[in-house]
Amino acid sequence: MDIYLPIAEVSVNIFLILGLGLAVGFLSGMFGVGGGFLMTPILIFIGIPPPVAVATQTNQIVASSASGAIAHFRRKSLDLKMGLYLLAGGVVGSVGGVWLFSFLQATGQINLVISLCYVGFLGIIGGLMFVESATALWRRYRQGKAGITPRPRRRRRGLIDALPFKVRFPVSGLYISLIPVIGIGALVGLLAALMGVGGGFVMVPAMIYILRMPTSVVIGTSLFQILFVTALTTFLQAAQNQTVDLVLAALLIVGGVIGAQFGARAGQRIRAEELRAALALMVLAVCLKLAFDLVSDPVDMFELMETAGRSAS
Amino acid sequence: MIRAALMSLVLGGTANAAPEDEIQPVGIVAALTQEVVEIRSNFTGADFLVYGAVTGLEEGDDIVVVVRGPQEDLRVMRKIRTLGIWINRAPITFEDIYGYYAVASTRSLSQFATFSSLRREAIGMEHLRLSAPAHEREETRFGVGGVVVTELGGEIVDYRRAVVRNRARDGLYVESPGGVEILDGGLFRADVRLPPVTPVGEYALDIYLFRDGVPIASRRTTLEVRKAGLEQALYDFAHDHAPLYGMIAVIIALLAGWSAAEIFRRR
Repeated sequence: MDIYLPIAEVSVNIFLILGLGLAVGFLSGMFGVGGGFLMTPILIFIGIPPPVAVATQTNQIVASSASGAIAHFRRKSLDLKMGLYLLAGGVVGSVGGVWLFSFLQATGQINLVISLCYVGFLGIIGGLMFVESATALWRRYRQGKAGITPRPRRRRRGLIDALPFKVRFPVSGLYISLIPVIGIGALVGLLAALMGVGGGFVMVPAMIYILRMPTSVVIGTSLFQILFVTALTTFLQAAQNQTVDLVLAALLIVGGVIGAQFGARAGQRIRAEELRAALALMVLAVCLKLAFDLVSDPVDMFELMETAGRSAS
Repeated sequence: MIRAALMSLVLGGTANAAPEDEIQPVGIVAALTQEVVEIRSNFTGADFLVYGAVTGLEEGDDIVVVVRGPQEDLRVMRKIRTLGIWINRAPITFEDIYGYYAVASTRSLSQFATFSSLRREAIGMEHLRLSAPAHEREETRFGVGGVVVTELGGEIVDYRRAVVRNRARDGLYVESPGGVEILDGGLFRADVRLPPVTPVGEYALDIYLFRDGVPIASRRTTLEVRKAGLEQALYDFAHDHAPLYGMIAVIIALLAGWSAAEIFRRR
């Protein structure tokens, strides 16, 4: 059964979208990621115009991060102060990103920039995750044989500690400069606007490895920031670019929230290292597909773009 | 009326005197099976029929049906490989390009129509008008002022083919020689297919009667493609009240996420 999307102005199969929402929602629940980095490219592959895919997917992430953020809020497993500073950066990034998006759309380079961002970020994150989880798996395998206990990681003082504007974060037990905090928040806001992702896949590693936040509050804090940044980005994309498709968003939300709940249960039965390795492989696969499309001969050597939005009746 | 009849009787009586006077005046009447196409949630394209009659149709005449969709500026960019990846370059903006363009004819156009008449009426994919004002200037040539010269030169052919090829892939530009069927008694019919990505707006349908290479009569009817129902309401709302639309989108998502969390917590 096909359904016409009023903003995207294309027809899509309703079950295909619901199914994709369920599948990606399942994976996101299982791995604890937003799933935007998978869904946005898939939406583009099936013919949704990239600007609509990016903006509408941001709307879906609002829903998927809301349920998670509420749970963490109840358990108080988040650093609210850190979240607010990250959010301040996120607002700057999001506003700048939506503006940049409009500019790139006007110059005809938006599709290229979306693809390049995906290839770059997915390649780096996927590669790092894969190496990390493969090493962990290998170590566990060796341990099983030889019974060596891994050495606890030593905390080193680095560049981050030398930066000014230090603020105390009691919940995380940190006393660090605001510069990396605001910077990470802004980067995530920019990514939300340009790529239609929550940015968890950048923020969670950044919080752990750069800010060295305790893992117990990382997920909750990142969900808190993602929720507000994606809500703001959705609003700005709708207000400025009119690229949020409510019909598509509703289908994605329904599939996504249901899938995520089942995924979360399935995820509890699988071990963390295998889970991370599988996620890394998936990230790398999406990255390779996008990179291949950038370098392989295009279907047509010319590209047409409607300069203004299609005239309304 | 009576005098004309008498005249023809008299003239007809004198054998082979003046065959020109016996030619019936040509005229075209045409109608569509659908004058309004509504895009609703189940829209997957539309098919309709153009039918009508030609009075004074002679052996060897040809009929062309041209459907022209709403016009819009179109930017065409050429992909150029830079550092291994394909990047859009050399943007050229063409003004007033048809969002939909279909040509159906009794035979292939070049078999019965002269190049100049096709060019004049802009009939056929080779004869689509492309104008890029930013790349044009007026010159005086052979003493004639105001001649529009394009800087694109021969490249314009590449760009025209690119527009036609890309649009044809989406079913937006269609050429169907043999698509017009002439039935007995000057009746004709042609099928028109609008694809799912059909732009909304006013469509003009022109029916031309070609004789000896040139159009001797034409008739225009119109068609409207519009969004209807919920699709129309949502589209208008998104454009007319964009900030409110954005807020509602966010609220719906928040409610969905919250209710999902509640429902699954209790289970």
